[in-house]
Amino acid sequence: MASRDIVHYDTPLSKAFRWFSAVFIGFYLIWTLLPIFVMFVSSFKDLLEAFKIPAVGDWMGAAVFFDFSPTLTHYENLFRNLNFTSYIVNSLVAAGGSALISVVLGSMCAYSLSRIEFRGKSDLFFWIISTRMAPVVAVMVPLYAIFRSLDLVGTLPGLILAYTTFNLPFAIWILKGFFDNVPYAIEEAQMVDGATRSQAFMSILPLVAPGIGAFLVLCILFAWNDFLFAAIIGSGGAKTLPVATRELVQPQNIQWGSIMAAGVVTTLPMMLLGLVIRRYLVTGLTMGAVKE
Amino acid sequence: MAKVSIRNVWKKYGEFPAVKDLNIECPDGSFLSILGPSGCGKSSTMRMIAGLEHITAGDIYFDEQRINDLAPKDRDVSMVFENYALYPHKTVFDNMANPLKLRGQDSARIKERVGQAANLLEIGELLHRRPQELSGGQKQRVAIGRAIVREPKLFLFDEPIAHLDAKLRAHMRGEIKHLQRTLGTTMIYVTHDQLEAMSMADTIAVMHEGELQQLGSPREVYNNPVNAWVAGFVGEPAMNFLTCDVRGDGGEVLLAHPNFGIALKPEQVKCLNGRKGGGSVRMGVRPDALNIALERPAEPAIAGEVFVNELLGGDMIVEVQLSDARVRVKTSPEFPGNPGDKCYLTVNRDKWHAFATDTGKAYF
Ligand SMILES: Nc1ncnc2c1ncn2[C@@H]1O[C@H](COP(=O)(O)OP(=O)(O)OP(=O)(O)O)[C@@H](O)[C@H]1O
Ligand SMILES: [Mg+2]
Repeated sequence: MASRDIVHYDTPLSKAFRWFSAVFIGFYLIWTLLPIFVMFVSSFKDLLEAFKIPAVGDWMGAAVFFDFSPTLTHYENLFRNLNFTSYIVNSLVAAGGSALISVVLGSMCAYSLSRIEFRGKSDLFFWIISTRMAPVVAVMVPLYAIFRSLDLVGTLPGLILAYTTFNLPFAIWILKGFFDNVPYAIEEAQMVDGATRSQAFMSILPLVAPGIGAFLVLCILFAWNDFLFAAIIGSGGAKTLPVATRELVQPQNIQWGSIMAAGVVTTLPMMLLGLVIRRYLVTGLTMGAVKE
Repeated sequence: MAKVSIRNVWKKYGEFPAVKDLNIECPDGSFLSILGPSGCGKSSTMRMIAGLEHITAGDIYFDEQRINDLAPKDRDVSMVFENYALYPHKTVFDNMANPLKLRGQDSARIKERVGQAANLLEIGELLHRRPQELSGGQKQRVAIGRAIVREPKLFLFDEPIAHLDAKLRAHMRGEIKHLQRTLGTTMIYVTHDQLEAMSMADTIAVMHEGELQQLGSPREVYNNPVNAWVAGFVGEPAMNFLTCDVRGDGGEVLLAHPNFGIALKPEQVKCLNGRKGGGSVRMGVRPDALNIALERPAEPAIAGEVFVNELLGGDMIVEVQLSDARVRVKTSPEFPGNPGDKCYLTVNRDKWHAFATDTGKAYF
């Protein structure tokens, strides 16, 4: 293979463009990171310190932003008085459970769709993915009615079922692409070697593992960050972090400190997860054909 | 070990027939080679025997058991795939150990069997590598290794040594043949290389466009091809074909060509089924059944002109221009003729063939 360096020659225009890109990226970083940074710092401030704002044009006054004595009161409040421990558990169970079910069922279904030819296959496949075309709010009311008559509203199984309903078609669609990339010859060799069909399926799982792992994370992210389902289907018994955070906004009393701390508690696990599996996320969803 | 019977087997992909009404009997312990050009349905046949492809019509039997509806794992065959089909995420050792593991062998035995196979194939030092880190020839040897760690009823080898260099190929031909002899396992071996089929097989099945042309020993296929197609496909360099008229001349029957006329033997005349006078046939003669000389010999000879000489080590192939065709002659490297020289060909009358011009069927 030829070297992968891209030979590059500077022109005045490309130099100017490079400067422009650098400035743009700088602004973009501030735009995306500053709110998170403010949230993080503010969660350690008490209310008075948090609202110290310098006068317009007083650039040196920005220093007051860092002039505070750190306190953990907001976190104590969350976990002592507001029962956030159980909300974290709810979030974890709902997100992890639905992601796991979606990926397990999704890979089996995707495998079959990838390997077996039958009449109406493309119609079936289109039908599966078309269930994701309607906006969530459009189906929310009937879904709520169904869930209520099944006594699933306000329960964790109900919430898991709701997330799975929405993750599964997507999982099938994405994972089918991964299975399509695995040469069928590998399973044929397995079956001649003495494997059953399901053993052959298991044997190619390592080849699609990066894709499955990446998709598992996407499912977790979707469920963890979701507000709409959690607020309507999970309301009451299966309160998750976003809903609990929203409830800190009360008409007479917006608990800014606790909201900031709750924001940190909600964001941090996903950021850590992202860091840990970053490598797989990048290789996973861009995974090309498996080389024989 | 098993006898394999393929009876009236068809394979259709949609409407396209890849294998047409195939009938092959392969006795227990014998080495059958399926020979044919690319796309003639060799792999399709193999895959039906292995159970990877549905049999559109007909039956396949192992001994007296009909195996049409048996899953691949229950057929107890080992297969070398045309495209290797190695497991990319497993090391060479684990690739080769896979069939044994799936059949629940203990690890000491697995180690021993894989080690033996690796030694035989000279890939002992590659056992810890992954398939991506191997050359094509090495992959092919690993694929063979995976097939021979077990002692199955039947070996199915689909062009297993096509990607090796000439020297290693010659070596592997010997090894595979020897292995099959010692184990006594029935072998079906697909190849498009007629030399491979000739040198290894007990029986050759020649296929063309999905149809079985001839089933016979290498000698039969070479010496008595059933039609012009088989005659032209088997043998290197290929057989020469010349269109001749059949002419009754007094008591004799002649094959007449603008350059020559040669009398047929009485038993050859019989084979022509009364086509004594009139009509034409295709005469076929192998390059090694022709003799070439620069002086006109006493017996009737074919006059021509040397077109080009090709030296192939111990042999020389001389291409001779006749009035309307070229023929190739195998001779010794000492042949003194140069391009443009007049030369004379004589034919060994026992070693030539006549085929019908329309159907290609052999008269003799
Ligand atoms: N899955 C398929 N669908 C449609 N046609 C197929 C399929 N597999 C093979 N064919 C066709 O069937 C014919 C026989 O194919 P096959 O693979 O058996 O040939 P082969 O003799 O093994 O050739 P080669 O020496 O190139 O491997 C070919 O014309 C091929 O195009
Ligand atoms: Mg083939």
